[in-house]
Amino acid sequence: MEDVKIGVYICHCGLNIAGTVDCSAVAKYAGSLPSVVVSRDYRYMCSDPGQDLIKNDITRLGINRVVVASCSPRMHELTFRNACQEGGLNPYLYEQANIREQCSWVHDDKKVATEKAKDIVRAAVKRVYFHEALEVKEAPVNPNVLVVGGGIAGIQAALDIANGGKKVYLVEREASIGGHMIQFDRTFPTLDCSECILTPKMADVGHHPFIELLAYSEVEEVSGSIGQFKVKVNKKARHIDESKCVGCGVCEQKCPWKVPSEFEMGLGKRGVIYIPFAQAIPNLATVDAEHCVYIQSDGKKCGACIKFCEAEAVTPETLLNQSDQIVELEVGSIIVTTGYDQFDPSVISQYGYGKYDNVLTGLQFERMTCAAGPTGGKIVLNSGKEPESVAIVHCVGSRDQNYHEYCSRVCCMYGLKYAHLIKELANAEVYEFYIDMRCFGEGYEEFYKRLSEEGVNFIRGKVAKVTDRAISDEEKGKLMVVTEDTLLGKMIRVPVDMVILCAALEARSDADKVASLFTLNRRADGFFLERHVKLDPVATPTDGVFIAGCCEGPKDIPDTVAQASAAAAKALSLISKGTITLESAIANVDETKCLGCGRCEEICTFHAPKVVSKNGVMVSSINETLCKGCGACAVVCPTGAMSIRHFTQEEIAAQVGALTELS
Amino acid sequence: MDEFEPQIIAFTCNWCTYAAADLAGTSRIHYPANVRIVRVMCSSMVSPMYVLKAFEGGADGVIVAGCNYADCHYIDGPVKCDAMFSRLKRIVHMLGLEDERLRRELISTSEGVIFAQVIREMVEQLKKLGPSPFKTKMEAPV
Amino acid sequence: MEILSPYKEATDVILEAGGEPLRLCYQCGICTGSCPWNLVRSFIVRRIIHEAQLGATDFESEELWLCATCRACVQSCPRGVEIIDVMRALRKVVTELGVAKVPDALRLSVKNISGTRNPMGEEQEKRADWAKGLNVKPFTEGTELLYFPGCYPSYEARDKGIALATVSILKKAGMDFGILGVKESCCGELVRKSGNEAVFQSLVESNIRVFTETHVKRILVSSPHCYNTFKNEYPDFGGNFEVIHSTQLLLELIKEQKIELTKELNRRVVYSDPCYLGRHNGIYDEPREVLKSIPGLELIEMPDSREEAVCCGGGGGRIWMETKKGERFSDLRLKQAIELGAEVLAVACPVCMCMYKDSQLSVDKGEAIEVKDITELVQEAM
Repeated sequence: MEDVKIGVYICHCGLNIAGTVDCSAVAKYAGSLPSVVVSRDYRYMCSDPGQDLIKNDITRLGINRVVVASCSPRMHELTFRNACQEGGLNPYLYEQANIREQCSWVHDDKKVATEKAKDIVRAAVKRVYFHEALEVKEAPVNPNVLVVGGGIAGIQAALDIANGGKKVYLVEREASIGGHMIQFDRTFPTLDCSECILTPKMADVGHHPFIELLAYSEVEEVSGSIGQFKVKVNKKARHIDESKCVGCGVCEQKCPWKVPSEFEMGLGKRGVIYIPFAQAIPNLATVDAEHCVYIQSDGKKCGACIKFCEAEAVTPETLLNQSDQIVELEVGSIIVTTGYDQFDPSVISQYGYGKYDNVLTGLQFERMTCAAGPTGGKIVLNSGKEPESVAIVHCVGSRDQNYHEYCSRVCCMYGLKYAHLIKELANAEVYEFYIDMRCFGEGYEEFYKRLSEEGVNFIRGKVAKVTDRAISDEEKGKLMVVTEDTLLGKMIRVPVDMVILCAALEARSDADKVASLFTLNRRADGFFLERHVKLDPVATPTDGVFIAGCCEGPKDIPDTVAQASAAAAKALSLISKGTITLESAIANVDETKCLGCGRCEEICTFHAPKVVSKNGVMVSSINETLCKGCGACAVVCPTGAMSIRHFTQEEIAAQVGALTELS
Repeated sequence: MDEFEPQIIAFTCNWCTYAAADLAGTSRIHYPANVRIVRVMCSSMVSPMYVLKAFEGGADGVIVAGCNYADCHYIDGPVKCDAMFSRLKRIVHMLGLEDERLRRELISTSEGVIFAQVIREMVEQLKKLGPSPFKTKMEAPV
Repeated sequence: MEILSPYKEATDVILEAGGEPLRLCYQCGICTGSCPWNLVRSFIVRRIIHEAQLGATDFESEELWLCATCRACVQSCPRGVEIIDVMRALRKVVTELGVAKVPDALRLSVKNISGTRNPMGEEQEKRADWAKGLNVKPFTEGTELLYFPGCYPSYEARDKGIALATVSILKKAGMDFGILGVKESCCGELVRKSGNEAVFQSLVESNIRVFTETHVKRILVSSPHCYNTFKNEYPDFGGNFEVIHSTQLLLELIKEQKIELTKELNRRVVYSDPCYLGRHNGIYDEPREVLKSIPGLELIEMPDSREEAVCCGGGGGRIWMETKKGERFSDLRLKQAIELGAEVLAVACPVCMCMYKDSQLSVDKGEAIEVKDITELVQEAM
């Protein structure tokens, strides 16, 4: 190693450190350590004059290692690294000793704290000796963006990026974009028609020159890393000629086979060849191959759609010979907006969902009140009659450690929304069963007041049971909602015609698959993990992959749109910079020691090390854009060939040795 | 006679436990000064060699701390650390060190209080156990 | 006028007595909604917890003694509050600190248990009298299975059939089993739930000592209450034994063909899940499979079955207390069985059996239905 000259700087941080630690004593002590050529203490090292001390010593005294003993490196490591760089020293030849958060702020005995500070400084000095200058590398960023999931979050993100002049691939697994929002009737609290506000955006997506929409497609494989992802997308076969189909819908009308419609939440049917809803984007028919009699009989039976399609978009060729296609995309960043699933309340047998008629979930009720829905916008019972009374039950599967411990955030509001719609469309008596009313957003509390004025009955109590067993004549033919009215302190039985269950929003059933595809973590509640819950809610621990909308946790439309735009901004910021700075403290292979055993390749979650042949010898090679520097590979390396720059075994061992020196 | 003050070396991961220790500081939660913290990027970065070196140097106790399973910045670092740790525990046991001297902790970013509590507990325990058997330096034969 | 203020000292006393779970309650009221008491009268469980949270408990209230510990509330509770433990803690405060009077009937039964190891107050020496003339061997070291009938099958006329049927089946199956007879003490399950921790612990000590001395490994019980306490509570006191309920053993014997059910029992049968087999220990299928193995038996599911089964009202020490007519859940349950046209109400618990046989005397057409333990039905089919 070249002649090492260490400069040590002890910060007082006003009285934050100096109040407990004798800084000048520590500075004096540091000056006595080997290779330390200058040791100073100063009031505020992070200030300009403080930083100048370092820069001047680099120039005048030729110091080539710097230790600052001050606050936590999580606060100012970057500040002092920059100061070193500005002074002409490689920023990685710097080490910070934490004598504030982990010393002066947690101990009160001055003598003890000063001794501890000396230990910490000594260890930092020993460690910085072994630091090496590291190159700061950059890699280019592919300006294309992939958005996964075509609900409102995906649509918003895609439009924001495309409007910024950058290319977006929007992948959606259903036949049309729109997600759950296109299923809603009205949105709270303004009662805007959901379709009316969403379809213009959907149309924009369909037409936008910078958006390539891959609907009825799913991501199969993702490789690479930030700036250069390679993605394989499976374009599922619609079994029609997309260039000819005009979306007239005649095929669906003529299709003799009907199956329950997923879009209509089981309340209505669709054809086996179908367009999911009127304003579908893309406006194309899709054949459900599993149920198609023509396909299943190899072309022997049916074929009605072929006969009636005037555009000749459905042919025996498309039905029988079209297969899924793999499309390969190259993008620089990915935004995951895969949305949520509605909790299935049939597991709560006490609520009678699936057992009694006229017990519905929220999404089913949305379809009912929708003018274009299966009941033509009429609120009706199974019998076809209008209900005279409706119960709306909150917290079904939410705030309940037997199902989901979290609050689903939107149910109180949509419960109020339904109450309003019921009053407007059916003028029935409405009973809201709640535990707490959560009306936190803009206009939300005012909406709650409005519903009180509309004469909705609010009963505070978590519903114990929904039953059809009548104990009096008035109850015959009705559903009884049984609960304690906790504000009255009495049991109450409310006979109603219809029960709507505000079912929880939960993570998608295939969230595990999505998580492993994009290297995302799942939180304990099942949703995807953000980088920091407060300060970085759309980034994830995987650089270049962002999340937005309900896949990150239940939220309303305003928050979803805000997150989507935030994720788009992050993507655009990456593209704007054009390059990414690679982590310098990453794995490094000493090929003279490497046996090519492959343990590093096996243990790495990010697929950074790969055993390859170099000059006829098998050795490990690190993909520097993938490596995060976690250190796991170095631990399992049997020969010590693998090390992590800036965290080498030598220097950490030196630090440990220095700490135990005087014990 | 001076009361025995045990020395603890704590390996803490940058994203969670180191941050928790910082949080204890910003919250001014006091705890005994017996601990010296070594910052690693992930608990999976801790090599058994570091822990053995700490004991060799005379440390009375060692803590290997990192994120909870769902929080890891590197996705599954804690799992990898667990695998190393179970083997390390056996070695440390074979060396004749009491089980209480080596601890594995999962402390996340917001758990400053827990960090301080763990240090307090371990100092108490080690005071009862006494100095590490490796503390006495061997005198070279004359 | 007195305005209520939180009384922390009272809350602390309750917490110390084991009421810690009350901290978690967020007052949603589903406990009240699920409680079978609200089928017959008003019993606001949620309010009792809130009063305890604020130290405003009325220790003199009879409501503290209503809980039959059926677990319907705990099962539904979204915060996982162990409400039964809170009730137990309140009762413990009354019993141990004397802040109010323990109901007389309960006090008497606990006194009997303390004295002669059974709630009836019968002589301890007569504990094995039910087995006279049956040639049942005493349990000694090396015997494979200990049959522990419990207080009710041993002393209670209505429940004796259970012990007799069990022994008959075990013999026919060629099982190596024995009884401890007069060395047995009450298992203590109901005593603990009624708030008397001291008597409970002395019973546990006594039983564990006897079991350990005779090297007991596997215990067959007739009562789900004994099952629950041996399995889930005795280990805390160092007593680790393998416990099996009679319905579980019956299923084993049927599957292994150690007993053969050859006689047809052409009856319409309903089964009421005992709280301590079902909600407390998750055993719902075995009793049903045993019943379905009986040739000719038609098993009809009751409304409110399995996790939603209605309690007989005997748990928590309530079997020893007086319940007003019109407030007995066992009456309701029996009526449900009769309305279904059942000829037999099958039970798997001696406490249930007592409660339902009592109800037969007061419910309309109660005599028309038979109340039988599953072991009795199996024996009839052999």
